[in-house]
Amino acid sequence: MNAKDLCADFASGLGEMFVCVPHGEFHRIRTPYLYPDGDNIDLFLKRADDVVTVSDLGETNRWLRSQTLSLRRSPKQSALIADACLTHGVEFYKGMLLARCRPGESLAAVATRVAQAALRISDLWFTFRTRAVESATDEVADFLSEKQFSFERAEKLAGRSGRGWTVDFHVRAPRRSALVYVLSTGSRSAARSVAEHVLAAWYDLSHLAAGPEALRFVSLFDDTVDIWAPEDYKLVEPLSTTVLWSEPDRLAQTLLEAA
Amino acid sequence: MAITQTEFETLLSNTSKRLEGDIVWQEDEDRSPCFEFRAEVQSSSGWPLFVKGSFNPLIPALSYALILKSAGRIYALDLGKDHHNPQCTQVGEVHKHRWSEQFRDKDAYMPTDISAAPSDPVAVWVQFCAEAKIQHQGQMMSPPTRTGELFL
Repeated sequence: MNAKDLCADFASGLGEMFVCVPHGEFHRIRTPYLYPDGDNIDLFLKRADDVVTVSDLGETNRWLRSQTLSLRRSPKQSALIADACLTHGVEFYKGMLLARCRPGESLAAVATRVAQAALRISDLWFTFRTRAVESATDEVADFLSEKQFSFERAEKLAGRSGRGWTVDFHVRAPRRSALVYVLSTGSRSAARSVAEHVLAAWYDLSHLAAGPEALRFVSLFDDTVDIWAPEDYKLVEPLSTTVLWSEPDRLAQTLLEAA
Repeated sequence: MAITQTEFETLLSNTSKRLEGDIVWQEDEDRSPCFEFRAEVQSSSGWPLFVKGSFNPLIPALSYALILKSAGRIYALDLGKDHHNPQCTQVGEVHKHRWSEQFRDKDAYMPTDISAAPSDPVAVWVQFCAEAKIQHQGQMMSPPTRTGELFL
């Protein structure tokens, strides 16, 4: 393919990525652009006389609002929305992104401006505090990698009852392999439910703890927050080895032990 | 803090989740075409859990999301727009986001238990609650009807 063909191929392919179909009183353009969670950005067209209005019909704002419990935007978020609209020549009116395509203007160019504004505004999502936080299980995975344990993460195993259980780690060590559940929660009142869930898993998976290749069951408590009661530990102790995440070396030692 | 897969599964399978009182759709702060509500989900485990609903009657598009205060959105039903998964698979206009440690809430699938149309938020709500194991001890009101020209 020569350079001319490349450009022609790109130009024709780009157009195919935008699908425009009648949609009630509007025309809907399904764009290839995505909101941060992977949902497609759609735009809508409506003609009045010789002007076509391009809008997201409030979907970007609705998408953003559905990610958070806040009823109101912060002044900073509102300022960022205004800035994105200014950059792309888009009007923010009653929560909708709007741009007019007047006679002689390119509808594709106007639609692209609105789509770009939708992208920028939806990216305010990245400023939400809960997004960039590592879970305790991520930390455990980092630790196992650092200690050069071979492991499989989030393995789904069938219990004796037929129910499937997603175990956090299946660790393969030289002497004996192990299944590890990480018990972690930010809520004291939820702690018991988590412990009971793990107890049920160990009980239902107990067939894997028998035979010459018996797996060791490890219940790893994330005790970085003081939420666990003595009863929570006692619940899982009969069926598993209990380790605290505040003592990571003991986890490594437990995984390396033969029996 | 983010939640683990085990926490998520525990939360979702907990059948004590309940919502008390009636749900009334309200305008948002921009007085946009959309309506929304927010309600606290109570449970024996005491999760700081909320459900947020939003409805755009113009499309129509509808979303119900479970939001854990400490982790953000962990579970959501979307009707009215397509979805693209991190594995590059495309999911249609009815899809559910489900928390996983790998993809957080970016992974979605097509549910088989949602048959009501997005133009009927009350019927979808009943199906959503059944699947998410939430008892609603109250009634959901229908969203108000919008009148008048929107933006032209």
